[in-house]
Amino acid sequence: MADQTFKLPDLGEGLTEAQLVAWRVEEGAHVEVNAPLADVETAKAVVVIPSPWAGTIQKLHARPGETVAVGDALVTIAAEGAAASVEPRLAESDDAAPRTLVGYGPGAPEAGVRRRARVAPAAVSGGDDVRAAPFVRQLAREKGVDLSQVTGSGPGGRITRADVEAATSPAGAAPAAPTPSTDGERRISVVGIRKAIARQMVRSVSTIPQFTEFAIFDASALMAARERQKSGGRSMTPLPYFIEALIKAVRAYPLMNSSWDESHDEIVVKQHINVGIAVNTNQGLLVPVLRDADQFDLSTIAERSAHLIGGARAGTLKPGDMTGGTITVTNVGASGPVETGTPIINPPECCVVGFGAIKPRPMVVDGQVVARPGAWISISVDHRIVDGALATEFLTALVRELETIRA
Amino acid sequence: MADVAAVVETDDPVRRLFSADGELSPGARSGLGLHPEALRDLYRKMLLIRRADQEALNLQRQGELGLWGPYQGQEAIHVGVVAALRPDDWIFPSYREFGMGVCRGIDPAQMLTIFRGLTHGAWDPRKYHFAPLVIPVASQVPHAVGFAMGSRFKHSDDVVLTTFGDGATSKGDWHEAMNFAGVFRAPVIFLCQNNHWAISVPLAKQTAGSIAERAQGYGFPGIRIDGNDVLGVLAAVRAAAERARRGQGPYLIEAMTYRLGPHTTSDDPTRYRQQAELEKWSHKDPIPRYRAWLHDQEILDDAALDAINKDVESTVEGMRNRLRATTPPPAGEVIFGRVYDRAPEPFNEERQEFEASLEGN
Amino acid sequence: MTEPVTMAKAINQSLHDALARDESVLIFGEDVGTLGGVFRITDGLQKAFGDDRVFDTPLAESAIIGIAIGLAVRGFKPVPEIQFDGFIYPAFDQIVSHVAKYRNRTGISMPITIRVPFGGHIGAVEHHSESPEAYFTHTAGLKVVAPATPADAYALLQSAINDPDPVVFFEPKSRYYLKETIDPTIEVPIGKARVAREGTGVTVIAYGPTVGVALDAAKAAEKENISLEVIDLRTLSPLDMHGILESVRKTHRAIVVHEAPVFGGLGAEIAARISDEGFDFLEAPVARVGGMDAPYPPARYEKLYLPDVDRILEEADVALAYG
Repeated sequence: MADQTFKLPDLGEGLTEAQLVAWRVEEGAHVEVNAPLADVETAKAVVVIPSPWAGTIQKLHARPGETVAVGDALVTIAAEGAAASVEPRLAESDDAAPRTLVGYGPGAPEAGVRRRARVAPAAVSGGDDVRAAPFVRQLAREKGVDLSQVTGSGPGGRITRADVEAATSPAGAAPAAPTPSTDGERRISVVGIRKAIARQMVRSVSTIPQFTEFAIFDASALMAARERQKSGGRSMTPLPYFIEALIKAVRAYPLMNSSWDESHDEIVVKQHINVGIAVNTNQGLLVPVLRDADQFDLSTIAERSAHLIGGARAGTLKPGDMTGGTITVTNVGASGPVETGTPIINPPECCVVGFGAIKPRPMVVDGQVVARPGAWISISVDHRIVDGALATEFLTALVRELETIRA
Repeated sequence: MADVAAVVETDDPVRRLFSADGELSPGARSGLGLHPEALRDLYRKMLLIRRADQEALNLQRQGELGLWGPYQGQEAIHVGVVAALRPDDWIFPSYREFGMGVCRGIDPAQMLTIFRGLTHGAWDPRKYHFAPLVIPVASQVPHAVGFAMGSRFKHSDDVVLTTFGDGATSKGDWHEAMNFAGVFRAPVIFLCQNNHWAISVPLAKQTAGSIAERAQGYGFPGIRIDGNDVLGVLAAVRAAAERARRGQGPYLIEAMTYRLGPHTTSDDPTRYRQQAELEKWSHKDPIPRYRAWLHDQEILDDAALDAINKDVESTVEGMRNRLRATTPPPAGEVIFGRVYDRAPEPFNEERQEFEASLEGN
Repeated sequence: MTEPVTMAKAINQSLHDALARDESVLIFGEDVGTLGGVFRITDGLQKAFGDDRVFDTPLAESAIIGIAIGLAVRGFKPVPEIQFDGFIYPAFDQIVSHVAKYRNRTGISMPITIRVPFGGHIGAVEHHSESPEAYFTHTAGLKVVAPATPADAYALLQSAINDPDPVVFFEPKSRYYLKETIDPTIEVPIGKARVAREGTGVTVIAYGPTVGVALDAAKAAEKENISLEVIDLRTLSPLDMHGILESVRKTHRAIVVHEAPVFGGLGAEIAARISDEGFDFLEAPVARVGGMDAPYPPARYEKLYLPDVDRILEEADVALAYG
């Protein structure tokens, strides 16, 4: 003898409960297999439940009129003979045993746990707002490029494969061999740095309303300082002086060191001044970045900028050396007759400063025309951030800094 | 028109066995040539499949089967059909032909695993010449015709029987298959178990005309017979099969019967049919009727009856016990195992992935 | 064969060779016997093999497929023809409920090849230009094939008839009269795509009638220095994801082109599988070019509805603009 509890089965394809209409047995009564136990009414029909076992009724678990859920106990029977030994194999908890369909209905879900632990999802990285296609992200991972430091040249600032490649290899890829001419034209496949420059420039002129102002400054103080350095045994190009003057002017006009956030219509003013230095190389124009330039003295600026320029030309810079600029300087007319030009902003920066060649120029000093070393400066600025008056103030401040360099 | 008329022979070998109202004539009954043991076996089989049906109903109420479709009242057809055919004549059943399968020798406990949710098909049809149960109504009928066309192409003398209910005769597949059978003179017997109800829709709402007479429109004969007379069913199917074996083409038998139980265990027939109708048909129950005839013929005495009862009860108990002891086959095999003969690689990969996901549980 | 033959002739030859090689092969359907089929695909076969092997049936698609099942159980290899794509729907229940599932129910294989001319571009009336392939690729138990060239049509039909499982064999009507030299000894297995044209910029995945359009697009793109790789799927189920991913790994971009409506079409499955299994290769979302979510239009409007070179190139431009 073993007590077996019969649970209400799903009596008709997806039922969840039944109402007990009447018992046909009493507690203590003896029943045979298939003897009628109870009448129950489901949503579909009134049916008779036959006893699954022979034995003595131990307990009736519901009263007439009560609703019994599928899978809930209906009757407990002290089962006799074979049933007593067969039935434990049918216990629901034993997955290996043939399962009865008791408790199978939709109201009785399987245990609410995962069948198997899935591979843990990769940790979600911080909301960097970087826009890049899956392959570009994969490429950046492989090449060790930090995408948050790469300026995207694609639509909406999306970082492209070319951007990553440009950030990876300062030397860039050589332009493909020109396609042979077929009909009086020659097509040159554009890849690598040329492609990156093209996209960056298109982005600049198509998204940034920019204007340019020009000035000439008196480089006498700068040249004197250079002479002094030279006599001290250290030769220095004018570039470090430009950068140092620029940093001072920017400190006075921090808006020049900012960017326009298109998605929020906000101006983002940068704390650090990272000066991009446009370098003409065999591969095309590269812009290595002198990070935290505002933290350095003149000689450090000289040393580091020389290193960056050399690296750019040699193709030995690391990807991180080319990203994260906040303002850019460029050389316009370093040789030849060209005096100045209109530089194009390097997005998403606000300002680009072009320095011309220092050469003797006629200048009016104390009412007299005299020859003094001088050069053109041009600044292009983002008109969304900066108006003409402010640009003029800034350019004036920059000229003042350059003209008051102390030897 | 003359060509078509010629197909329907005036001397119909089935019709001449029956009275106008579909009863087997006394002469035909005594001329069946069945040995008393064979006659008793028909009774034993009817009783066995009735008890198996009742037991399956109980097993459903006890949660051992998900669903059951009882055939109580239609046993004469189940038994008569199988007795009339050669073992190598294929049968293409609908879904209520559990009894026919048992008569063809399939283990009833094995057949029930379909309703226990363990398989969609529990036997190899080629072993029993018994096609799978088919649930979409009438869709098995063209299969039978195609098989029979194949028998003709192979110049084999086996015939095919397909069975369906009255509701199936409303389906396009039924008409298309009847038409093909006529055109190709396929050796196939269409056996309609007209049990008067297609779930809740009565015969009068199913069709406005005679089912049996439709055969003529397809170029072969049809007959309506008493489907609750096992010997009548046997005689009709045997004569139609012999005719088909002779190359005379298809035959439609409309066997009038009644589904005494619900459509399935999910059904409540009290919602659509009258108790009086049920009582009327209970009086025509094929089992007591045949038992009385056997008794009158002094073929079945009390001792033989007792022996049959004991044999049947023990078989049914065995069915119950074997069903409950069935070990469910592995999930990967059930879900993926028989879909393809030459399984595509992506399919095998999905199976492997699934089976790997079950490991360790 | 040394002379180029049309796809129609290649299929005819393939059926002929199957009938000659294997006497369990049967061909039947509407008008396939005496007439030789409305596209003359079965021309001469009844004469050559007799009307027990190649026969006309009554006009009833469900029964055509239904008897194929019975014949398969009886040991035959039925090759029924459905006359037009738009007439396959009456047979849908037999195909989905039984052709695809009979083996799962019984263990009995269903070596049935259902031939269906499909697709548009032939200026036909309603129901004669449909692309119902996704209904069948969505059905487990079926294999679905769609050749694009005469040589593939010959070889894939051989593979389909020899396959022990059911195959729905879609023949692109618009390419029936395309000519090519075929070599009957070359086997093309079910489940393998081919690269119809190599390229580097964007992968264009096509099958059946759209392979030609994709190749035309690739030619036009070349003039603009855009390089398209064209994949001819050949088999729609099972999908050759290995072949597809190999190409996408190279180009990082993919466009799926079919005549069937884009919504819920096979292209959706391919796009999902590429993003699932090839996410890291992608530089652009997978694009789909296909029919509109509208019934197939009257013939004078079909060119507006069907994928064309411009629509493929537009999607290529969008994909390339991602960088």
